[in-house]
Amino acid sequence: MDADNANRFSWAPFLWFTPAILILFLVTLYPTIFVFWLSFQKTKYYDLVGFNGLANYVEVLSSPEFWDTTVISLSYVAGSLAGAIILGMASALVLNRAGITGSALRVFILFPWTLSMSVVGSIWLWLLNPSFGPIPYVIQKLGIDPGLMLGDPGMALPLLIIVTAWWSFPYVMVMATAAMQSIPKELYEAVEIDGGGAFVKFRYVTLTEILPTLGSTALTLSIMYLTLMTLIIVMTGGGPLGSTTTLSFEAFRGTVQAVNIGPTAVVSIVVLIINVALGALYTRLTGRVTG
Amino acid sequence: MSSALSNRTTGQMPAILGSLVIGIIVLGPVLWAFATSFKTEVEAVVVPPTLWPNSPTLENYTKVLKDAAFFTDLWNSVAYSVGAVIIALLVGIPAGYAAARFSFKGKRALMLVVLATSMVPGVALLVPTYYLLETVGLLNSGIVVTIILSARIIPQTVWFIANFVEAVPVEIEDSAMIDGASRFQIIWALILPLIRPGIAAVATIGIVTTWNDYITVAVFAPEVAKRTLQVALVNQVFDAVGISWSYMMAFVMVASSPVILMFGFVQKWFISGLTAGAVKG
Repeated sequence: MDADNANRFSWAPFLWFTPAILILFLVTLYPTIFVFWLSFQKTKYYDLVGFNGLANYVEVLSSPEFWDTTVISLSYVAGSLAGAIILGMASALVLNRAGITGSALRVFILFPWTLSMSVVGSIWLWLLNPSFGPIPYVIQKLGIDPGLMLGDPGMALPLLIIVTAWWSFPYVMVMATAAMQSIPKELYEAVEIDGGGAFVKFRYVTLTEILPTLGSTALTLSIMYLTLMTLIIVMTGGGPLGSTTTLSFEAFRGTVQAVNIGPTAVVSIVVLIINVALGALYTRLTGRVTG
Repeated sequence: MSSALSNRTTGQMPAILGSLVIGIIVLGPVLWAFATSFKTEVEAVVVPPTLWPNSPTLENYTKVLKDAAFFTDLWNSVAYSVGAVIIALLVGIPAGYAAARFSFKGKRALMLVVLATSMVPGVALLVPTYYLLETVGLLNSGIVVTIILSARIIPQTVWFIANFVEAVPVEIEDSAMIDGASRFQIIWALILPLIRPGIAAVATIGIVTTWNDYITVAVFAPEVAKRTLQVALVNQVFDAVGISWSYMMAFVMVASSPVILMFGFVQKWFISGLTAGAVKG
C-alpha cells in the first residue's frame, strides 16, 4: 500500500497533518514571517507608521548597547556551558565509581532540571539574599565581604551563570553517563594491557568515545541558554546597570515595555538566526529534533 | 580475597564522598527552600540562619491556600498545561502516524516544516505575536495561551509518536485491515494501546514543559484572572517590599508540587527521552 501512494501525488495523506500544521502555522510560522516584516517598519510604540527600509537594522547594529548585550549573551552562554559541562562530567565520573551510593544519587540528580525557571530563580534569590541568605552568611563567616551579591554589577552575571550551571549540569551528567555506559569494556581492557593508567583511560577512551554526545549536549544547552529569559527576569531583571541584559532579555523587555517594537523585532531576528543555525547544526549532527 | 574486597571499598571512598558533595550541591538549595517554607516569618530571617525550623509551622502553606487568587491561579495552571497536552496529542497522533506509515510526495517537506518550527525560539516570536494578538483583540485569552503552549510541544510530539508507531510491526495492521477494520479503528483499538507507554512519556514531558512556562502566560495573558501559579510567584518576587521569604518558599513548593509528585515518572521518561538515540551521536 505504501508503494502505490509513493508514485503519484495525493492529497489524502496531507489531511493527517492538517491540524498539526495549521497550529504550527498560526503560532510559529506566521509570526516568524511577520517579525521579518515588522523589522522593516517604522514603529512608534506598538503603532506602525510606514516602511522604514533597513533603518531599524542600522539603528540596532550601530548601537553600542546592542553589542554590549551580545557580549553579555555570549559570556552567559559560554560561562554556563563551561560550568555545566565541567560539573556534569565530573559528577558522571564520580557517580560511576561510587557503587550503590552513585546509583542512589542518580535517581535524584535530575531534580533541579524539572523545576521551572521561576522556581529556580526564587529559590536562589533567597539563598543569595545579602541580608538573610545562607550563602552570603557563609561567605561572611569565611572572612570575606559578600557585598550586594546580585545587586553588584560585577557579581550579577557570574552568579547567574552559577545558578544556570546548577540547574543544567544534571542534564549533562545524564547524557554523559548514558554515553559512558555504552563504551565497550574491551577498550579499557586494551589500555590496561598496554599498561595505561587512569588518565590514559579517561583521555583516550572515555573522552574520545563520549565526545559526539558532549557536542550535541553542548549545542542543546547553548540553544536553551541563548533563549533563556525567565531566570534573568526573576533574579536580576537585566540589571544592575544592564549587566545581565542578554539579547533574549532585551527582546522580552522590548515587548512588554513597547518603547519601539521595530528595533525589538531586529533583536528578535538576531536571536532567531543564531538559534536556527545552532538547531540546524544539531539536526545535521544527530538527526534528531531539538527540545 | 577479603583484602581485595576491602581494597575495593576503600578505593571507592573518595568517589562516595564526592558523590555526597554532589548530592548536597544538587539537593541542598531545594532542601533549604523546603526548610524555610516551614519556618515562621521571623525565624526565616534570623542571623545566624537555622538549618531546620525550631518550631515547624504550616502557617505559610495555609496562607498560600487561603489567598483569594490561589485557586484561580491553580486552575489556570492545570487548564493550560492539560489542555495544551491534549491538543498536542490530538493533532500529533494523526500526524505522527501518517509520518510513520504513509510514504507520499511532499512528506519530507512536511516533516521539514515541523522540524523548522521546533527551531524557532519562543523569544523571537514575542513581539510579532503580541502585536498580532493585540490587533485582533485576543490578548488575555486562555484558549489562545493554551494553543500557543501546545505549539511548543507539537513538534516533539509528532516526532516521538512517529518513532513509536514505526516500532510497531506493519503486519499487525495489515491483518486487521484484511478483517475489514478501518484506519481509525486500527489506530484507536490497535496502535494506541500498543504505544501507550510512549504516549505517557510524551504527555509527562509536555505537562512539565507547559506547567513550568512563565513567559507565554505573563506576556500574552497578563490579566490577574488569567495568570498561572508561575506568574503569581514571579509577581510576588517583583513585589519585593515586605516580602516574606518563608511564604515565598511555601509558594515555591506548592507551585512545583505536581513536578515533585510526578518526579518518579518524570525522571524515568526524561532520561529515556533525553538519551534515546542521542548517545551514538
